Amino acid sequence: MKTKNQFDKERLYATDDIFVSDGIKRKKQKERIFLEGKIKKKISKDVIIAWSILTPMLIWWLVVSGFPMLVGFVLGFFEWRNVNAVPKFVGIDNFIAFFKDETYLGDLGRTIVFGFGITLVTMLTSFACAFLLNRNIKLKGFLRSIWYIPAVTSPVAISHVMSLLFDPFKGVINRLLEGAGQEPIILATNIGWSIALIFIYSIWKGCGSGALIWLAGLQSIDPDLYEAAEIDGANKFHRFWSITLPGLKPISLYVFITGIISAFQIYEPIAFITNGGPYGATNVLALRIIQDGYQNFNFGMAGASGLLLAVLIMACSAFTYKAMTKDRGSL
Amino acid sequence: MSEGIKLKRSGSKKRENRAGNIIAYIILIPGGLIMVYPVLFIILASFFTPEEFNSTILNFFPIAENPTAVNWKNLIALGADKAIRNYYFNSIWTTLYATFCSVITSFLGGYIFARLKFRGRNALFTFMLMTNMVPGIIATLPTYLELVRFPFFGGNYVFTGGTGLFDCYGTYILLFGPCLNVMGTFLVKQQIEALPNSYEEAAKVDGAGFFRIVFVIVLPLVKPMLAFIAINTSIGCWNNWATPFYYTESADLQTIASAISRQSIFAGREGTIVDYPAIMSYSLLLTIPSVILFFCFQKYIIQGLVHVGLKG
Repeated sequence: MKTKNQFDKERLYATDDIFVSDGIKRKKQKERIFLEGKIKKKISKDVIIAWSILTPMLIWWLVVSGFPMLVGFVLGFFEWRNVNAVPKFVGIDNFIAFFKDETYLGDLGRTIVFGFGITLVTMLTSFACAFLLNRNIKLKGFLRSIWYIPAVTSPVAISHVMSLLFDPFKGVINRLLEGAGQEPIILATNIGWSIALIFIYSIWKGCGSGALIWLAGLQSIDPDLYEAAEIDGANKFHRFWSITLPGLKPISLYVFITGIISAFQIYEPIAFITNGGPYGATNVLALRIIQDGYQNFNFGMAGASGLLLAVLIMACSAFTYKAMTKDRGSL
Repeated sequence: MSEGIKLKRSGSKKRENRAGNIIAYIILIPGGLIMVYPVLFIILASFFTPEEFNSTILNFFPIAENPTAVNWKNLIALGADKAIRNYYFNSIWTTLYATFCSVITSFLGGYIFARLKFRGRNALFTFMLMTNMVPGIIATLPTYLELVRFPFFGGNYVFTGGTGLFDCYGTYILLFGPCLNVMGTFLVKQQIEALPNSYEEAAKVDGAGFFRIVFVIVLPLVKPMLAFIAINTSIGCWNNWATPFYYTESADLQTIASAISRQSIFAGREGTIVDYPAIMSYSLLLTIPSVILFFCFQKYIIQGLVHVGLKG
């Protein structure tokens, strides 16, 4: 259709610059009007099909995510304590309250620390795993599938297995520790282990799938480059530094940004393993938003925290994107 | 080709290579065991009866003294009690529905944004991609508020009382419904743009209509990508505990995943002991299908993941 349209257009404007008599001009004009109509008709058919299919999907999108997102952006500026109450506009009072309250600030700090910590550690471990999985060993395919399994298992189920292992009464780990004469790990009071468990869970969950993405990046690098470098006498470290790392830049950007987005919203391990405890030492903003919304019915405060978290995540990803693409122009 | 290079390498390099491989085995095989460990634990724990489960402390690899299949029998739909059958039913139909909707919207959306020309196409698509960058946490509560006050449903007339679409099958129908799947649309669009236009042209000359072209000619060409989207959505929806947990209340609307979260959160709220046998059997129901699905379709998953990573 594109070519046919172009063909019509060519016929249409072919005579524009040529000197022709009035009669022919008029004839051409008539033809032009006719053809223009035809082209318009063709375009409009495309448009009709496109919009008649897109409109229902877009309306559905508006209802399911567009409108809630919009509400999410303004909810923080209202005071709203009951579903049936009328929301009252209070300006930035909620945000002031947020920055005055130490628990909220603590949650924000922990969100940032956990977010960056989990993302970086997961990135490094999965990067190392990708190198190992890239070796030409037996069981390669099988090991890759096995390592990907955490990504498809249910976070709820796995969190419960973990909390069962560390259960003060029924957990095998505490029984073994007691048998060895050590202090048992009680998650309700042990801050260090609570944080460690959340990290372990997140690394376990993200390592395999991250490794497969890194692996794709490693395999997309042209092997001729390595060969050429080897002939030129570059050693292993040199090859890694000046071929592998630059070649992995786009992938690392992708892994980092997706990692940040999910790690800043980390919820399941915290809700099901530590439940924010001990004494709020693992509470993060995502958990606080849910508590504010569903237990305290303080929608305004939850909206404010949600907006701050979302802005933080978007700023982080935008900043990383800018910083990584600056020196190369584009990816 | 790599074999050829290897042959040229000296003996010391070969030895180095073998040492590296051994290190890889040493790390990857125990690591792989750790990766599947929770699934193994769930499977092994399922051979315990609830009484035995409660009275003993489970080992790292719990092996029941008298393994019984009573749990397995209880979990299969025929032997299951009504509550579990309900969870099953809800999990399955929401997953099928969500998968169908997301595949169809990403496919049609991807084709439309790739091939059909209309004013504002690129602007609209860029806008959709940008909204996709907004983290989901911001919409969690507003969705709840919207559902509760959804007009004309559940005894709700324009913002007066009622429960709207909260806590009914309509909740799932709305939330998992055919809303434009932006990420899927993006992937399909990229794939279609990389394809040559000539098949569609030929079909058009032969007088094929839009749906004929789309479903007979384009669909087979983007099947792997659609399979990736389908598997991703279905595993995501199967494991999705948050939607039922936040947006419904009654027990017969829960899915398997939300049944687990309700068990432990309500136990925590009311200060009772968490019912681990029940949680373990629900976990079994939850993990086995997704692991099986993954092993059946891992080719598509890994292909799609590679594509997303390299071009996303």
